[in-house]
Amino acid sequence: MDSKEILKLEYTALNIRRNILRLIRAGEAGHVGGALSSVEILTALYFNLLRINPEDPTWSQRDRFVLSAGHKCLVLYSALAERGFFDKSVLDTYGALDSHIPGHPNMHKLPGVESNTGALGHGLSIAGGMALGFKLDKSPARVFVLMGDGELAEGSIWEAAAAASMHKLDNLIVFVDRNRLQISGPTIEVMSYEPLDERWRSFGWSVRTINGHDMNSIIANVKQAPFEKGKPSIIIADTIKSKGLSFAEGKLSYHYWKATPEEMKQAELDLEVIENQLKEKYSKEQQS
Amino acid sequence: MNELIDPRKAFGEAVIEAAQKNPNVVVLSADSSSGSGLANFPKLFPERHFEFGIMEQGVIGFASGLATTGKIPVFAAIAPFVTARPFEMFKNDLGYMNQNVKVVGRCAGLTYDQLGSTHHSIDDVALIRTIPGVMILSPGDPVTIKKSVHAMISHTGPCYLKIGNPKMPVLYPEDIDFQPGKGIVMQEGKDVALIGTGTVLSKAVGAAKLLEQKGISVRLIDMHTLKPVDRELILKAAREIGKIVTVEEHFIAGGLGSIVAEICSQEFPARIKMIGIGDFFASNGPYEQLLMKYGLQPDQICETIIRFLNTE
Repeated sequence: MDSKEILKLEYTALNIRRNILRLIRAGEAGHVGGALSSVEILTALYFNLLRINPEDPTWSQRDRFVLSAGHKCLVLYSALAERGFFDKSVLDTYGALDSHIPGHPNMHKLPGVESNTGALGHGLSIAGGMALGFKLDKSPARVFVLMGDGELAEGSIWEAAAAASMHKLDNLIVFVDRNRLQISGPTIEVMSYEPLDERWRSFGWSVRTINGHDMNSIIANVKQAPFEKGKPSIIIADTIKSKGLSFAEGKLSYHYWKATPEEMKQAELDLEVIENQLKEKYSKEQQS
Repeated sequence: MNELIDPRKAFGEAVIEAAQKNPNVVVLSADSSSGSGLANFPKLFPERHFEFGIMEQGVIGFASGLATTGKIPVFAAIAPFVTARPFEMFKNDLGYMNQNVKVVGRCAGLTYDQLGSTHHSIDDVALIRTIPGVMILSPGDPVTIKKSVHAMISHTGPCYLKIGNPKMPVLYPEDIDFQPGKGIVMQEGKDVALIGTGTVLSKAVGAAKLLEQKGISVRLIDMHTLKPVDRELILKAAREIGKIVTVEEHFIAGGLGSIVAEICSQEFPARIKMIGIGDFFASNGPYEQLLMKYGLQPDQICETIIRFLNTE
Protein backbone atom coordinates (compact mmCIF):
# COMPACT_ATOMS: atom_id res chain seq x y z
CA MET A 1 0.00 0.00 0.00
CA ASP A 2 1.10 3.58 -0.76
CA SER A 3 3.27 4.82 2.13
CA LYS A 4 1.63 8.25 2.08
CA GLU A 5 -1.74 6.62 2.54
CA ILE A 6 -0.37 4.62 5.45
CA LEU A 7 1.08 7.75 7.02
CA LYS A 8 -2.28 9.47 6.67
CA LEU A 9 -3.94 6.57 8.44
CA GLU A 10 -1.33 6.72 11.20
CA TYR A 11 -2.21 10.38 11.72
CA THR A 12 -5.86 9.35 11.91
CA ALA A 13 -4.95 6.73 14.51
CA LEU A 14 -3.25 9.48 16.52
CA ASN A 15 -6.42 11.59 16.33
CA ILE A 16 -8.45 8.61 17.49
CA ARG A 17 -6.11 8.19 20.48
CA ARG A 18 -6.61 11.89 21.21
CA ASN A 19 -10.36 11.35 21.04
CA ILE A 20 -9.99 8.55 23.59
CA LEU A 21 -8.20 10.95 25.95
CA ARG A 22 -11.01 13.46 25.36
CA LEU A 23 -13.53 10.80 26.43
CA ILE A 24 -11.51 10.01 29.55
CA ARG A 25 -11.30 13.70 30.41
CA ALA A 26 -15.10 13.89 30.17
CA GLY A 27 -15.90 10.68 32.02
CA GLU A 28 -12.85 10.72 34.30
CA ALA A 29 -12.40 6.97 33.78
CA GLY A 30 -12.96 4.20 31.26
CA HIS A 31 -11.81 0.91 29.74
CA VAL A 32 -8.79 2.44 28.08
CA GLY A 33 -6.36 -0.50 27.80
CA GLY A 34 -8.29 -2.54 25.25
CA ALA A 35 -9.47 0.58 23.43
CA LEU A 36 -5.91 1.75 22.82
CA SER A 37 -4.74 -1.71 21.77
CA SER A 38 -7.31 -1.78 18.95
CA VAL A 39 -6.89 1.76 17.58
CA GLU A 40 -5.03 0.67 14.43
CA ILE A 41 -7.63 -2.03 13.69
CA LEU A 42 -10.53 0.42 13.92
CA THR A 43 -8.64 3.09 12.00
CA ALA A 44 -7.99 0.67 9.15
CA LEU A 45 -11.63 -0.43 9.19
CA TYR A 46 -13.34 2.95 9.38
CA PHE A 47 -10.91 4.86 7.13
CA ASN A 48 -10.03 2.29 4.53
CA LEU A 49 -11.82 -1.05 4.61
CA LEU A 50 -15.49 -0.66 5.54
CA ARG A 51 -17.99 0.22 2.83
CA ILE A 52 -19.98 2.74 4.84
CA ASN A 53 -21.50 6.17 4.47
CA PRO A 54 -21.56 8.41 7.55
CA GLU A 55 -24.20 10.52 5.79
CA ASP A 56 -26.44 7.48 5.50
CA PRO A 57 -25.52 5.29 8.49
CA THR A 58 -28.34 2.78 7.89
CA TRP A 59 -27.64 2.28 4.16
CA SER A 60 -28.80 -1.30 3.60
CA GLN A 61 -25.74 -2.42 1.60
CA ARG A 62 -23.19 -1.17 4.13
CA ASP A 63 -20.59 -3.40 5.72
CA ARG A 64 -21.26 -4.04 9.39
CA PHE A 65 -18.86 -3.79 12.30
CA VAL A 66 -19.79 -5.53 15.53
CA LEU A 67 -17.75 -4.64 18.59
CA SER A 68 -18.16 -7.89 20.48
CA ALA A 69 -15.89 -6.66 23.28
CA GLY A 70 -18.28 -3.81 24.01
CA HIS A 71 -16.12 -2.41 26.81
CA LYS A 72 -13.72 -1.22 24.11
CA CYS A 73 -16.38 1.33 23.19
CA LEU A 74 -14.01 4.28 23.65
CA VAL A 75 -12.21 3.35 20.44
CA LEU A 76 -15.51 2.82 18.60
CA TYR A 77 -16.87 6.22 19.63
CA SER A 78 -13.55 7.84 18.79
CA ALA A 79 -13.41 6.26 15.33
CA LEU A 80 -17.06 7.02 14.53
CA ALA A 81 -16.61 10.65 15.61
CA GLU A 82 -13.41 10.97 13.58
CA ARG A 83 -15.19 9.48 10.55
CA GLY A 84 -18.00 12.03 10.88
CA PHE A 85 -20.91 9.92 12.11
CA PHE A 86 -21.63 12.58 14.73
CA ASP A 87 -20.15 15.78 16.07
CA LYS A 88 -17.06 15.38 18.22
CA SER A 89 -18.71 17.43 20.97
CA VAL A 90 -20.71 14.26 21.78
CA LEU A 91 -17.44 12.81 23.12
CA ASP A 92 -17.54 15.40 25.92
CA THR A 93 -20.73 13.81 27.28
CA TYR A 94 -19.06 10.52 28.24
CA GLY A 95 -20.23 9.58 31.73
CA ALA A 96 -23.07 12.13 31.79
CA LEU A 97 -26.70 11.25 32.52
CA ASP A 98 -28.50 10.08 29.36
CA SER A 99 -25.34 10.41 27.27
CA HIS A 100 -25.54 8.91 23.78
CA ILE A 101 -22.23 7.21 24.46
CA PRO A 102 -22.73 4.91 27.45
CA GLY A 103 -20.01 2.70 28.93
CA HIS A 104 -21.05 0.00 26.46
CA PRO A 105 -22.45 0.83 23.01
CA ASN A 106 -26.17 1.18 22.29
CA MET A 107 -27.27 1.11 18.64
CA HIS A 108 -30.44 3.03 19.47
CA LYS A 109 -28.49 5.96 20.88
CA LEU A 110 -25.77 6.60 18.34
CA PRO A 111 -25.53 6.45 14.53
CA GLY A 112 -22.98 3.94 13.28
CA VAL A 113 -23.32 1.50 16.18
CA GLU A 114 -24.56 -1.83 14.84
CA SER A 115 -25.29 -3.84 18.00
CA ASN A 116 -25.72 -3.56 21.75
CA THR A 117 -22.77 -5.32 23.27
CA GLY A 118 -21.10 -5.30 26.64
CA ALA A 119 -22.01 -8.73 27.94
CA LEU A 120 -19.10 -10.69 26.48
CA GLY A 121 -19.48 -13.51 24.01
CA HIS A 122 -22.55 -12.19 22.16
CA GLY A 123 -21.03 -10.37 19.19
CA LEU A 124 -19.91 -13.29 17.08
CA SER A 125 -23.38 -14.88 17.01
CA ILE A 126 -25.03 -11.57 16.14
CA ALA A 127 -22.47 -10.94 13.41
CA GLY A 128 -22.93 -14.50 12.14
CA GLY A 129 -26.67 -13.84 11.78
CA MET A 130 -25.94 -10.68 9.81
CA ALA A 131 -23.56 -12.57 7.54
CA LEU A 132 -26.17 -15.32 7.05
CA GLY A 133 -28.78 -12.70 6.14
CA PHE A 134 -26.43 -11.18 3.54
CA LYS A 135 -25.75 -14.61 2.05
CA LEU A 136 -29.48 -15.23 1.79
CA ASP A 137 -29.97 -11.89 0.04
CA LYS A 138 -26.86 -12.37 -2.11
CA SER A 139 -25.68 -9.02 -0.78
CA PRO A 140 -22.02 -8.04 -1.19
CA ALA A 141 -21.96 -6.60 2.34
CA ARG A 142 -19.42 -8.07 4.74
CA VAL A 143 -19.46 -8.32 8.50
CA PHE A 144 -16.48 -7.46 10.68
CA VAL A 145 -16.10 -8.30 14.35
CA LEU A 146 -13.63 -7.32 17.05
CA MET A 147 -13.27 -9.64 20.04
CA GLY A 148 -10.93 -9.49 22.99
CA ASP A 149 -8.68 -12.43 23.81
CA GLY A 150 -10.03 -12.70 27.36
CA GLU A 151 -13.52 -12.83 25.86
CA LEU A 152 -12.69 -16.10 24.12
CA ALA A 153 -13.37 -17.99 27.35
CA GLU A 154 -17.11 -17.40 26.82
CA GLY A 155 -18.62 -20.67 25.60
CA SER A 156 -21.06 -18.87 23.33
CA ILE A 157 -18.11 -17.74 21.17
CA TRP A 158 -17.41 -21.35 20.30
CA GLU A 159 -21.06 -22.06 19.52
CA ALA A 160 -20.88 -19.21 17.02
CA ALA A 161 -17.48 -20.32 15.74
CA ALA A 162 -18.84 -23.74 14.83
CA ALA A 163 -22.00 -22.33 13.26
CA ALA A 164 -20.19 -19.73 11.14
CA SER A 165 -17.99 -22.45 9.74
CA MET A 166 -20.87 -24.89 9.20
CA HIS A 167 -22.83 -22.22 7.31
CA LYS A 168 -19.74 -21.27 5.26
CA LEU A 169 -19.86 -17.61 6.20
CA ASP A 170 -16.88 -16.37 4.21
CA ASN A 171 -18.33 -12.85 4.35
CA LEU A 172 -17.43 -12.78 8.05
CA ILE A 173 -14.05 -11.32 9.03
CA VAL A 174 -13.09 -11.38 12.68
CA PHE A 175 -10.27 -9.74 14.63
CA VAL A 176 -9.05 -10.98 17.97
CA ASP A 177 -7.28 -8.16 19.81
CA ARG A 178 -4.67 -10.36 21.45
CA ASN A 179 -3.23 -7.96 24.02
CA ARG A 180 -2.71 -10.94 26.34
CA LEU A 181 -4.09 -9.25 29.46
CA GLN A 182 -7.44 -9.41 31.22
CA ILE A 183 -8.61 -8.02 34.58
CA SER A 184 -7.13 -10.74 36.76
CA GLY A 185 -3.84 -11.18 34.94
CA PRO A 186 -2.22 -12.56 31.79
CA THR A 187 -4.80 -14.34 29.65
CA ILE A 188 -2.70 -17.51 29.46
CA GLU A 189 -2.72 -17.70 33.27
CA VAL A 190 -6.39 -16.80 33.83
CA MET A 191 -7.89 -19.16 31.24
CA SER A 192 -5.79 -19.98 28.26
CA TYR A 193 -7.33 -20.66 24.87
CA GLU A 194 -3.90 -20.84 23.26
CA PRO A 195 -2.83 -21.83 20.74
CA LEU A 196 -5.51 -19.60 19.24
CA ASP A 197 -4.56 -20.27 15.63
CA GLU A 198 -4.86 -24.04 15.98
CA ARG A 199 -8.08 -23.76 17.95
CA TRP A 200 -9.78 -21.58 15.36
CA ARG A 201 -8.45 -23.68 12.50
CA SER A 202 -9.90 -26.77 14.13
CA PHE A 203 -13.28 -25.01 14.19
CA GLY A 204 -13.10 -24.63 10.41
CA TRP A 205 -11.83 -21.07 10.17
CA SER A 206 -9.09 -19.65 8.00
CA VAL A 207 -6.57 -18.04 10.35
CA ARG A 208 -3.81 -15.44 10.06
CA THR A 209 -1.70 -13.87 12.78
CA ILE A 210 -0.45 -10.31 12.34
CA ASN A 211 0.98 -7.35 14.23
CA GLY A 212 -2.19 -5.51 15.19
CA HIS A 213 -0.47 -2.13 15.21
CA ASP A 214 0.84 -2.47 11.65
CA MET A 215 -1.62 -0.57 9.48
CA ASN A 216 -0.20 -1.94 6.27
CA SER A 217 -0.50 -5.51 7.46
CA ILE A 218 -4.08 -5.06 8.72
CA ILE A 219 -5.23 -3.62 5.41
CA ALA A 220 -3.30 -5.99 3.18
CA ASN A 221 -4.67 -9.03 4.99
CA VAL A 222 -8.28 -7.89 5.06
CA LYS A 223 -8.06 -7.15 1.35
CA GLN A 224 -7.23 -10.80 0.80
CA ALA A 225 -10.28 -12.00 2.75
CA PRO A 226 -11.84 -14.45 2.56
CA PHE A 227 -8.54 -16.21 3.04
CA GLU A 228 -10.22 -19.38 1.80
CA LYS A 229 -13.45 -19.52 -0.13
CA GLY A 230 -16.30 -20.92 1.93
CA LYS A 231 -14.59 -20.31 5.28
CA PRO A 232 -14.92 -17.46 7.76
CA SER A 233 -11.68 -15.54 8.26
CA ILE A 234 -10.06 -14.67 11.56
CA ILE A 235 -7.11 -12.36 12.13
CA ILE A 236 -5.31 -12.82 15.43
CA ALA A 237 -3.88 -9.36 15.97
CA ASP A 238 -0.99 -9.21 18.41
CA THR A 239 -1.25 -5.93 20.24
CA ILE A 240 -0.03 -4.04 23.29
CA LYS A 241 -2.59 -3.09 25.88
CA SER A 242 -2.82 0.71 26.39
CA LYS A 243 -0.66 1.21 23.29
CA GLY A 244 0.61 4.79 23.05
CA LEU A 245 0.71 5.70 26.75
CA SER A 246 4.27 5.23 28.03
CA PHE A 247 3.26 4.68 31.64
CA ALA A 248 0.45 2.26 30.89
CA GLU A 249 1.59 0.06 28.00
CA GLY A 250 1.34 -3.62 28.80
CA LYS A 251 0.23 -2.94 32.38
CA LEU A 252 -2.70 -4.76 33.88
CA SER A 253 -3.81 -1.84 36.04
CA TYR A 254 -4.82 0.25 33.03
CA HIS A 255 -7.54 -2.13 31.82
CA TYR A 256 -9.84 0.42 33.42
CA TRP A 257 -8.14 3.77 33.92
CA LYS A 258 -9.21 6.36 36.45
CA ALA A 259 -6.97 9.13 35.23
CA THR A 260 -5.06 11.36 37.62
CA PRO A 261 -4.21 14.88 36.35
CA GLU A 262 -0.53 13.90 36.25
CA GLU A 263 -1.23 10.80 34.19
CA MET A 264 -3.42 12.78 31.80
CA LYS A 265 -0.64 15.33 31.34
CA GLN A 266 1.81 12.52 30.62
CA ALA A 267 -0.63 10.90 28.21
CA GLU A 268 -0.90 14.15 26.26
CA LEU A 269 2.90 14.42 26.13
CA ASP A 270 3.12 10.82 24.91
CA LEU A 271 0.79 11.55 22.04
CA GLU A 272 2.83 14.64 21.19
CA VAL A 273 5.87 12.40 20.89
CA ILE A 274 3.95 10.18 18.47
CA GLU A 275 2.92 13.25 16.51
CA ASN A 276 6.54 14.41 16.24
CA GLN A 277 7.57 10.96 15.03
CA LEU A 278 4.89 11.07 12.37
CA LYS A 279 5.97 14.57 11.32
CA GLU A 280 9.53 13.35 10.96
CA LYS A 281 8.32 10.40 8.91
CA TYR A 282 6.34 12.83 6.77
CA SER A 283 9.39 15.04 6.14
CA LYS A 284 11.39 12.01 5.05
CA GLU A 285 8.56 11.01 2.74
CA GLN A 286 8.59 14.47 1.18
CA GLN A 287 12.33 14.33 0.65
CA SER A 288 12.33 10.90 -0.93
CA MET B 1 -66.45 -33.55 23.12
CA ASN B 2 -64.16 -30.98 21.55
CA GLU B 3 -61.75 -32.11 18.86
CA LEU B 4 -58.20 -32.69 20.12
CA ILE B 5 -55.27 -31.33 18.09
CA ASP B 6 -51.50 -31.45 18.65
CA PRO B 7 -50.46 -27.87 19.46
CA ARG B 8 -47.18 -28.33 17.63
CA LYS B 9 -49.04 -29.39 14.49
CA ALA B 10 -51.20 -26.26 14.68
CA PHE B 11 -48.10 -24.16 15.26
CA GLY B 12 -46.12 -25.71 12.40
CA GLU B 13 -48.96 -25.34 9.91
CA ALA B 14 -49.37 -21.69 10.83
CA VAL B 15 -45.65 -20.98 10.40
CA ILE B 16 -45.77 -22.52 6.93
CA GLU B 17 -48.81 -20.38 6.07
CA ALA B 18 -46.98 -17.30 7.32
CA ALA B 19 -43.85 -18.19 5.35
CA GLN B 20 -45.91 -18.63 2.19
CA LYS B 21 -47.26 -15.12 2.63
CA ASN B 22 -44.09 -13.42 3.82
CA PRO B 23 -40.74 -14.23 2.15
CA ASN B 24 -38.82 -12.75 5.09
CA VAL B 25 -39.93 -15.51 7.46
CA VAL B 26 -37.03 -17.86 8.18
CA VAL B 27 -36.78 -20.72 10.67
CA LEU B 28 -33.82 -21.47 12.93
CA SER B 29 -33.43 -24.85 14.54
CA ALA B 30 -31.34 -26.00 17.48
CA ASP B 31 -31.86 -29.61 16.46
CA SER B 32 -35.44 -28.72 17.32
CA SER B 33 -37.52 -28.04 14.19
CA SER B 34 -38.79 -31.56 13.71
CA GLY B 35 -39.91 -31.79 17.34
CA SER B 36 -41.60 -28.40 17.08
CA GLY B 37 -44.05 -29.28 14.33
CA LEU B 38 -41.74 -27.81 11.69
CA ALA B 39 -40.56 -31.03 10.02
CA ASN B 40 -42.11 -29.91 6.73
CA PHE B 41 -40.62 -26.42 6.76
CA PRO B 42 -37.15 -27.36 5.43
CA LYS B 43 -38.79 -29.47 2.72
CA LEU B 44 -40.91 -26.55 1.54
CA PHE B 45 -38.36 -23.77 2.15
CA PRO B 46 -34.88 -25.33 2.12
CA GLU B 47 -33.19 -21.94 1.66
CA ARG B 48 -35.03 -20.44 4.61
CA HIS B 49 -34.36 -23.11 7.21
CA PHE B 50 -31.09 -22.97 9.18
CA GLU B 51 -29.93 -25.82 11.36
CA PHE B 52 -27.52 -25.03 14.20
CA GLY B 53 -27.47 -28.11 16.33
CA ILE B 54 -27.90 -27.94 20.08
CA MET B 55 -26.71 -24.36 20.79
CA GLU B 56 -29.64 -22.24 21.95
CA GLN B 57 -27.53 -19.28 23.14
CA GLY B 58 -25.84 -18.96 19.80
CA VAL B 59 -29.09 -19.37 17.86
CA ILE B 60 -30.64 -16.38 19.65
CA GLY B 61 -27.65 -14.25 18.64
CA PHE B 62 -27.81 -15.47 15.03
CA ALA B 63 -31.54 -14.73 15.00
CA SER B 64 -30.84 -11.20 16.21
CA GLY B 65 -28.27 -10.64 13.47
CA LEU B 66 -30.59 -12.07 10.80
CA ALA B 67 -33.34 -9.73 11.98
CA THR B 68 -31.03 -6.72 11.47
CA THR B 69 -31.01 -7.66 7.76
CA GLY B 70 -34.81 -7.62 7.54
CA LYS B 71 -35.53 -11.28 8.11
CA ILE B 72 -38.20 -12.47 10.54
CA PRO B 73 -36.56 -15.41 12.34
CA VAL B 74 -38.74 -17.97 14.07
CA PHE B 75 -36.85 -20.11 16.59
CA ALA B 76 -38.76 -22.94 18.23
CA ALA B 77 -37.35 -25.41 20.75
CA ILE B 78 -38.13 -26.92 24.14
CA ALA B 79 -39.30 -24.00 26.30
CA PRO B 80 -36.65 -23.90 29.07
CA PHE B 81 -33.88 -24.04 26.49
CA VAL B 82 -35.09 -20.90 24.68
CA THR B 83 -35.87 -18.90 27.84
CA ALA B 84 -33.98 -19.80 31.03
CA ARG B 85 -30.84 -21.11 29.35
CA PRO B 86 -30.17 -18.24 26.89
CA PHE B 87 -31.84 -15.62 29.06
CA GLU B 88 -29.06 -13.07 28.68
CA MET B 89 -29.09 -13.47 24.88
CA PHE B 90 -32.86 -13.03 24.91
CA LYS B 91 -32.51 -9.94 27.08
CA ASN B 92 -29.66 -8.24 25.22
CA ASP B 93 -29.72 -9.51 21.64
CA LEU B 94 -33.51 -9.51 21.24
CA GLY B 95 -34.90 -7.22 23.95
CA TYR B 96 -32.26 -4.51 24.33
CA MET B 97 -31.51 -4.57 20.59
CA ASN B 98 -35.28 -4.65 19.93
CA GLN B 99 -35.00 -7.17 17.12
CA ASN B 100 -37.90 -8.69 15.23
CA VAL B 101 -37.37 -12.29 16.34
CA LYS B 102 -40.06 -14.81 17.30
CA VAL B 103 -38.99 -17.28 19.98
CA VAL B 104 -41.28 -20.23 20.56
CA GLY B 105 -41.11 -22.35 23.67
CA ARG B 106 -42.84 -25.64 22.98
CA CYS B 107 -43.64 -28.41 25.43
CA ALA B 108 -43.98 -25.57 27.95
CA GLY B 109 -45.38 -25.78 31.45
CA LEU B 110 -45.37 -29.34 32.83
CA THR B 111 -46.15 -30.90 29.46
CA TYR B 112 -42.75 -32.62 29.38
CA ASP B 113 -44.24 -34.35 32.39
CA GLN B 114 -42.08 -37.34 33.30
CA LEU B 115 -38.88 -35.75 31.95
CA GLY B 116 -38.59 -33.74 35.14
CA SER B 117 -37.69 -30.23 36.18
CA THR B 118 -34.88 -29.71 33.67
CA HIS B 119 -37.52 -29.97 30.94
CA HIS B 120 -40.44 -28.27 32.66
CA SER B 121 -40.91 -24.60 31.92
CA ILE B 122 -42.83 -23.03 34.75
CA ASP B 123 -40.67 -19.92 35.06
CA ASP B 124 -40.60 -18.69 31.46
CA VAL B 125 -43.27 -15.99 31.82
CA ALA B 126 -41.66 -14.71 35.02
CA LEU B 127 -38.30 -14.45 33.31
CA ILE B 128 -39.24 -13.11 29.90
CA ARG B 129 -41.69 -10.50 31.11
CA THR B 130 -38.86 -8.68 32.85
CA ILE B 131 -37.48 -7.87 29.39
CA PRO B 132 -38.90 -4.56 28.16
CA GLY B 133 -40.67 -4.65 24.81
CA VAL B 134 -41.13 -8.42 24.46
CA MET B 135 -44.66 -9.56 23.60
CA ILE B 136 -45.66 -12.79 25.40
CA LEU B 137 -48.38 -14.97 23.88
CA SER B 138 -49.84 -17.93 25.74
CA PRO B 139 -52.74 -19.27 23.66
CA GLY B 140 -54.98 -21.96 25.11
CA ASP B 141 -56.27 -23.86 22.10
CA PRO B 142 -55.17 -24.88 18.58
CA VAL B 143 -57.21 -22.16 16.89
CA THR B 144 -55.64 -19.37 18.92
CA ILE B 145 -52.19 -20.93 18.54
CA LYS B 146 -52.55 -20.42 14.79
CA LYS B 147 -53.83 -16.91 15.29
CA SER B 148 -50.98 -16.18 17.69
CA VAL B 149 -48.44 -17.22 15.05
CA HIS B 150 -49.93 -14.84 12.48
CA ALA B 151 -50.20 -12.08 15.08
CA MET B 152 -46.57 -12.40 16.14
CA ILE B 153 -45.35 -12.41 12.54
CA SER B 154 -47.39 -9.26 11.83
CA HIS B 155 -46.10 -7.59 15.00
CA THR B 156 -42.75 -5.83 14.67
CA GLY B 157 -40.56 -6.61 17.66
CA PRO B 158 -39.40 -9.51 19.80
CA CYS B 159 -42.06 -12.06 20.81
CA TYR B 160 -42.20 -15.12 22.99
CA LEU B 161 -44.91 -17.68 22.21
CA LYS B 162 -45.43 -20.63 24.54
CA ILE B 163 -47.29 -23.76 23.59
CA GLY B 164 -47.72 -27.18 25.12
CA ASN B 165 -47.18 -30.70 23.97
CA PRO B 166 -50.17 -33.06 24.49
CA LYS B 167 -53.15 -32.77 22.18
CA MET B 168 -55.47 -30.04 23.34
CA PRO B 169 -59.18 -29.39 22.81
CA VAL B 170 -60.43 -26.87 20.27
CA LEU B 171 -62.20 -24.19 22.28
CA TYR B 172 -62.91 -21.62 19.61
CA PRO B 173 -64.46 -21.40 16.14
CA GLU B 174 -62.04 -20.58 13.32
CA ASP B 175 -63.44 -17.05 13.01
CA ILE B 176 -62.86 -16.06 16.65
CA ASP B 177 -61.79 -12.42 16.92
CA PHE B 178 -58.24 -12.73 18.26
CA GLN B 179 -56.26 -9.61 18.94
CA PRO B 180 -52.94 -9.68 20.77
CA GLY B 181 -53.16 -7.70 23.99
CA LYS B 182 -56.93 -8.18 24.25
CA GLY B 183 -58.19 -10.94 26.48
CA ILE B 184 -61.24 -12.92 25.39
CA VAL B 185 -64.31 -13.06 27.64
CA MET B 186 -65.39 -16.63 26.98
CA GLN B 187 -68.38 -16.41 29.27
CA GLU B 188 -70.04 -13.59 31.23
CA GLY B 189 -70.71 -13.93 34.96
CA LYS B 190 -71.01 -12.00 38.20
CA ASP B 191 -69.84 -14.07 41.20
CA VAL B 192 -66.19 -14.61 40.32
CA ALA B 193 -63.79 -13.76 37.51
CA LEU B 194 -61.79 -16.81 36.43
CA ILE B 195 -58.76 -15.96 34.32
CA GLY B 196 -56.88 -18.76 32.61
CA THR B 197 -54.00 -18.91 30.18
CA GLY B 198 -52.20 -21.32 27.89
CA THR B 199 -52.06 -25.06 28.41
CA VAL B 200 -54.55 -25.09 31.30
CA LEU B 201 -57.13 -22.75 29.79
CA SER B 202 -59.24 -25.81 28.99
CA LYS B 203 -59.08 -26.83 32.66
CA ALA B 204 -60.43 -23.40 33.62
CA VAL B 205 -63.20 -23.87 31.04
CA GLY B 206 -64.06 -27.21 32.66
CA ALA B 207 -64.03 -25.64 36.12
CA ALA B 208 -66.36 -22.85 34.96
CA LYS B 209 -68.86 -25.46 33.74
CA LEU B 210 -68.80 -27.25 37.10
CA LEU B 211 -69.27 -23.96 38.96
CA GLU B 212 -72.22 -23.00 36.76
CA GLN B 213 -73.79 -26.38 37.61
CA LYS B 214 -73.47 -25.42 41.26
CA GLY B 215 -75.18 -22.10 40.60
CA ILE B 216 -72.03 -19.96 40.70
CA SER B 217 -71.90 -17.41 37.92
CA VAL B 218 -68.38 -17.20 36.41
CA ARG B 219 -66.85 -14.56 34.17
CA LEU B 220 -64.36 -16.68 32.27
CA ILE B 221 -61.45 -14.88 30.65
CA ASP B 222 -58.79 -16.24 28.30
CA MET B 223 -55.66 -14.15 28.88
CA HIS B 224 -53.79 -15.34 25.80
CA THR B 225 -51.46 -12.33 25.84
CA LEU B 226 -49.49 -11.91 29.04
CA LYS B 227 -47.52 -8.93 27.79
CA PRO B 228 -48.80 -6.39 27.02
CA VAL B 229 -51.59 -7.67 29.24
CA ASP B 230 -55.19 -6.48 28.95
CA ARG B 231 -55.18 -4.18 32.01
CA GLU B 232 -58.64 -2.85 31.31
CA LEU B 233 -60.20 -6.30 31.27
CA ILE B 234 -58.52 -7.16 34.58
CA LEU B 235 -59.57 -3.88 36.20
CA LYS B 236 -63.11 -4.26 34.87
CA ALA B 237 -63.29 -7.64 36.64
CA ALA B 238 -61.86 -6.07 39.80
CA ARG B 239 -64.38 -3.22 39.72
CA GLU B 240 -67.45 -5.21 38.70
CA ILE B 241 -66.84 -8.49 40.54
CA GLY B 242 -64.03 -7.88 43.04
CA LYS B 243 -63.08 -11.57 43.22
CA ILE B 244 -60.52 -12.94 40.78
CA VAL B 245 -59.03 -16.42 40.43
CA THR B 246 -56.08 -17.05 38.13
CA VAL B 247 -55.14 -20.44 36.69
CA GLU B 248 -51.78 -21.16 35.11
CA GLU B 249 -49.34 -24.01 34.58
CA HIS B 250 -46.50 -21.87 35.92
CA PHE B 251 -44.96 -20.80 39.19
CA ILE B 252 -47.33 -18.58 41.14
CA ALA B 253 -44.31 -16.29 41.46
CA GLY B 254 -44.06 -14.07 38.42
CA GLY B 255 -46.79 -15.50 36.20
CA LEU B 256 -50.37 -14.61 35.35
CA GLY B 257 -51.42 -14.41 39.02
CA SER B 258 -48.59 -12.02 39.78
CA ILE B 259 -49.46 -9.90 36.74
CA VAL B 260 -53.08 -9.61 37.85
CA ALA B 261 -52.07 -8.89 41.46
CA GLU B 262 -49.58 -6.20 40.42
CA ILE B 263 -52.27 -4.36 38.48
CA CYS B 264 -55.11 -4.74 40.99
CA SER B 265 -53.06 -3.98 44.09
CA GLN B 266 -52.07 -0.63 42.64
CA GLU B 267 -55.18 0.40 40.76
CA PHE B 268 -58.25 -1.36 42.18
CA PRO B 269 -57.63 -3.86 44.98
CA ALA B 270 -59.61 -7.07 44.61
CA ARG B 271 -59.55 -10.44 46.37
CA ILE B 272 -57.30 -12.70 44.35
CA LYS B 273 -56.65 -16.45 44.46
CA MET B 274 -53.73 -17.68 42.39
CA ILE B 275 -53.76 -21.30 41.27
CA GLY B 276 -50.40 -22.52 39.99
CA ILE B 277 -47.16 -24.13 41.15
CA GLY B 278 -45.66 -23.14 44.52
CA ASP B 279 -42.03 -22.52 45.42
CA PHE B 280 -40.65 -25.97 44.67
CA PHE B 281 -39.41 -28.02 41.72
CA ALA B 282 -42.36 -29.88 40.28
CA SER B 283 -42.37 -33.65 40.36
CA ASN B 284 -42.43 -36.04 37.41
CA GLY B 285 -45.07 -38.42 36.11
CA PRO B 286 -48.01 -38.66 33.71
CA TYR B 287 -49.18 -35.18 32.68
CA GLU B 288 -52.78 -35.34 33.89
CA GLN B 289 -51.63 -36.79 37.21
CA LEU B 290 -49.10 -33.99 37.62
CA LEU B 291 -51.81 -31.42 37.02
CA MET B 292 -53.88 -33.18 39.66
CA LYS B 293 -50.93 -33.13 42.10
CA TYR B 294 -50.87 -29.34 41.79
CA GLY B 295 -54.61 -28.74 41.87
CA LEU B 296 -54.99 -27.86 38.21
CA GLN B 297 -57.78 -30.28 37.22
CA PRO B 298 -61.25 -28.77 36.64
CA ASP B 299 -62.87 -30.32 39.74
CA GLN B 300 -59.96 -29.15 41.90
CA ILE B 301 -60.08 -25.63 40.47
CA CYS B 302 -63.84 -25.66 41.12
CA GLU B 303 -63.31 -26.72 44.76
CA THR B 304 -60.61 -24.10 45.30
CA ILE B 305 -62.90 -21.41 43.96
CA ILE B 306 -65.79 -22.50 46.16
CA ARG B 307 -63.51 -22.37 49.23
CA PHE B 308 -62.26 -18.96 48.11
CA LEU B 309 -65.79 -17.64 47.74
CA ASN B 310 -66.80 -19.08 51.11
CA THR B 311 -63.98 -17.43 53.05
CA GLU B 312 -64.87 -13.77 52.54
